[in-house]
Amino acid sequence: MAFLAPLFLIGLGALAVPVIIHMIQRERKEVVEFPSLMFVRKIPFHSFRRQRIRHWFLLLLRCLAFILLIAAFARPFFQAPSVAAVTSGAREVVILLDRSYSMAYADRWDRARAAAADVVDGLGADDRATLIFFDSGAQVGPRSMSDRGSLRALVDAAELGAGTTRYGPALKLAEGIFEDSSLPRLEAVLISDFQQSGFESASGIRFPEGTVVTPIAVGDEARANVSVAGVLFQREYFSGRERVAVSARVTNRGGEPVAGLDVTLELDGRELEALVTDLPANGASTVDFAAVTLDDASMTGAVRIEGDTLPTDDVFHFVITPGQVVHVLLVGHERADAEAGLYLERSLGIGSSPSFDVATTTIGNFDASDLAGRQVVILNDTPPPSGAALAALQGFVEGGGGLLVVSGERSAWTSDAGLLPGTIGSPLDRAGRGGAIGFVDYSHPVFELFGAPRSGDVTTARFFRYRPLDPAESSVVLARYDDGNPVLAERRVGSGTVLLWASTLDSFWNDLALKPVYLPFVHRVVQHLAGYVPPTPWYYAGQVLDLAGQPGLAAVTTDAAELVGVSPSGQRVPVTEGERAGFLALDEQGLYEIHDATAPGDSLLTLAVNVDLQESDLTTVDPEELASAVTGRAGGEREAADAPARTFSPEDLERRQGIWWYLLVVAFCLLVGETVVSNRLSRRALEVD
Amino acid sequence: MDAPQTSPGARFVDPKVLARIGSLNLLARTVVDGFINGLHKAPYLGVSIDFAEHRGYMPGDDIRFIDWRVFARTDRFYVKQFEADTNANFSVMFDISRSMNFGSKGITKLDYGRYLAACLTYFCTKQRDRVGLVTFDDDIVTRIPPSAKHLDVVLHELDRIDAGRPGSLAHPMFRATELFKRRGIVVVISDFYEDPQAAVDALKPLRYGGTDLIVFHLLDPAEIEFPYDDAVSFQDIETGRKLPVVPEKLREQYRALVQEHIAALSKLCGENRIDYALFNTATPLDHALFKFLAVREKLSRVR
Repeated sequence: MAFLAPLFLIGLGALAVPVIIHMIQRERKEVVEFPSLMFVRKIPFHSFRRQRIRHWFLLLLRCLAFILLIAAFARPFFQAPSVAAVTSGAREVVILLDRSYSMAYADRWDRARAAAADVVDGLGADDRATLIFFDSGAQVGPRSMSDRGSLRALVDAAELGAGTTRYGPALKLAEGIFEDSSLPRLEAVLISDFQQSGFESASGIRFPEGTVVTPIAVGDEARANVSVAGVLFQREYFSGRERVAVSARVTNRGGEPVAGLDVTLELDGRELEALVTDLPANGASTVDFAAVTLDDASMTGAVRIEGDTLPTDDVFHFVITPGQVVHVLLVGHERADAEAGLYLERSLGIGSSPSFDVATTTIGNFDASDLAGRQVVILNDTPPPSGAALAALQGFVEGGGGLLVVSGERSAWTSDAGLLPGTIGSPLDRAGRGGAIGFVDYSHPVFELFGAPRSGDVTTARFFRYRPLDPAESSVVLARYDDGNPVLAERRVGSGTVLLWASTLDSFWNDLALKPVYLPFVHRVVQHLAGYVPPTPWYYAGQVLDLAGQPGLAAVTTDAAELVGVSPSGQRVPVTEGERAGFLALDEQGLYEIHDATAPGDSLLTLAVNVDLQESDLTTVDPEELASAVTGRAGGEREAADAPARTFSPEDLERRQGIWWYLLVVAFCLLVGETVVSNRLSRRALEVD
Repeated sequence: MDAPQTSPGARFVDPKVLARIGSLNLLARTVVDGFINGLHKAPYLGVSIDFAEHRGYMPGDDIRFIDWRVFARTDRFYVKQFEADTNANFSVMFDISRSMNFGSKGITKLDYGRYLAACLTYFCTKQRDRVGLVTFDDDIVTRIPPSAKHLDVVLHELDRIDAGRPGSLAHPMFRATELFKRRGIVVVISDFYEDPQAAVDALKPLRYGGTDLIVFHLLDPAEIEFPYDDAVSFQDIETGRKLPVVPEKLREQYRALVQEHIAALSKLCGENRIDYALFNTATPLDHALFKFLAVREKLSRVR
């Protein structure tokens, strides 16, 4: 037996301390003759019985427990030969079977399963095998089975998935299985079409020394594949009704052009329009369908092309949601310049996702009735409303509305009624080229859009005049001028949000309105204040959806609702029970429906799930390259006999044997026993006293 | 521990000094004579010639006791009556149980008790009392009946005794009641390691015959002060039982218990008209003699 951390054994010396102390005490002990111990015996706690070892059994129990604890920390293990000797020649085989949707190409899947079955049939009596099915994730069956019948059943029952190929998770699982194995021969059989797209995920994985990787490629050189890459919605209003024109993008990854490809648009299960398009070799084409008028409810749709050898990517599902409108009330000042609200109105007049419905009024005419149906109020360079109007505005914000206060020449807020994120000061002039924005919180939804490179730069705007702002404790400063003064601050009031812009949003005090970032900035501010969440027309297979974040769902469900997800294949998945309540794994391609089990009826929400088109690229990688990457050896060494003898490092042996774990358990049991025994002895001693 | 207290003329009664004197006879004479010579007045001497009262002469009275001066004044015969000088039986009951063999300062309780008994016996012999001795442990060991000629026998026996067995009071005291039929003075010398009530219950029967009982409680200074420091095992001399003890932890409680024991013995003895005196073996022997004489004087008024 050896120890991985033998220094811990020094701790055994500590065990001798109480014994040594006891021995020292014993040496000093002498007997004093005394006429009578009549009085001594009457005194409680009179003796040094505590200093004597009264219960040797307890002492031994404690010492043993501590010895085991120390031994556990020293990580003991037995040397390898004994392990290898008893299982000489047996193999630990891991069969990795690719079930990504590209395996649906022609007869790849059938050949893959047949290959897996062959491997299972070739297992020896002492061999053990594990089946791992993988696409973007990996699913492992029972580990290290020797029952070939069960393995064959697993292979026969395997189904194709809708995910993309990623070798990493599966190889990592196999690595773990090999590391836990005590068999002398390790072998991985990788059955896949070896798409290049999944190769990158395999980096950094290295199988134990001596592992033999046998790649079985079921792909072929054919790369011809036509797929629907995605759709675009072009929204427009015609006669007060919203119309959507669907454009589908179709790609051809083959080396031959495709002519006369049928492309069909379906809405709510009905075929609306069929078009024919031609595709160049390794090229793409856009198919524009005629605009359709939307209902008030969401509509499901799909764009299909005629089936090819890989049918999975020949359809693209989506959900069209009626256009969202954010209702904005723009409040100006009676004596304001005509251009004061021009930029704001114009910028809010643009946009379809969402579109903005802007109503304007002046601060003098502003009253509670103006707030009806509005989601955002913009006070554009005005003093605060007075009296009932201010109270109504406060109630509006607390009830979930958004308020943007633009401070300019007339924004003299002597009392903010608890609304503003800070105290507005007197206007401050910046001479020369003026000031600029020096700090931006790009993690905030308002500026998130500008965080990426070349995504718009709000710091290019020059600010010649602004009002300094003294932010309140409960507010958050989202942007500051280069002199440190806040330019945009946020405060949560009740359920609503208040943003304070410490300058104007026209061209009087700054030139932001003339910059390209102005329009997206204003849109993001208003969307944030309105709590707007854009609908997602489709998801990709493999995503896990948090239903709590679905705005459409929260409005139609109650607390008592028991949500059930129905997959495209008809499987019902409860999503309000279990460990992952509220989450739905989107594993299949097609339309998922969310129902309330307590209220039968139409689905509450429909989700479109498409396959990731990364998998449509059937370019392959050399299987030997992948095998070499995980074994660290040249690809030729695939025969088990050629593999170097498998050796176990002390760390490997210790981890495999895990003796420390048993020692800890025994030590724990001993300590529990010690507690019980000592309690009983103490109780008995007390009773005797 | 108290320094040995000495009385005038009693310089040599320090027990440790006395221990060097080999002969008990010489020791007793040294102590008693020195003690007597040192007294400034002798209220205890010549008790036999102390005048008590007159009474009318009656036929048969010794004419030597007729007080002629009174006859000269009154013309009547009166005889003088003196304090009785009745020879008393004086016995020492000496506890020779094993616990008496303890001594922390060079002299054991047994030796101290031996000297004390010798001195008292010698003193009483000089008072023309009959002296006797009873030694006991858990039973009566030796018995020397009171006699005017038994001084040497008593001293010889005191010289020879040795503590050997565990002791108790009840049985030997019960047996001793049969020995003291005639009223007299009995001095019990013991360390009284018994429950105070049990000890007094054992002593009480001795008083039923009119015997005057004096209890000398002997304790070594170490038994009172418990001056030990190290945690050691203490062994009971009598039972042999060992007990590991941390003295410094229990010293105060031990002292309190001993004082409580002494107080209880003293109180119970008083209630039962038994004279009680505690003697620290570091205390000079003349203290014991004073105590004894105080009792003896009280008892001498016998008509």
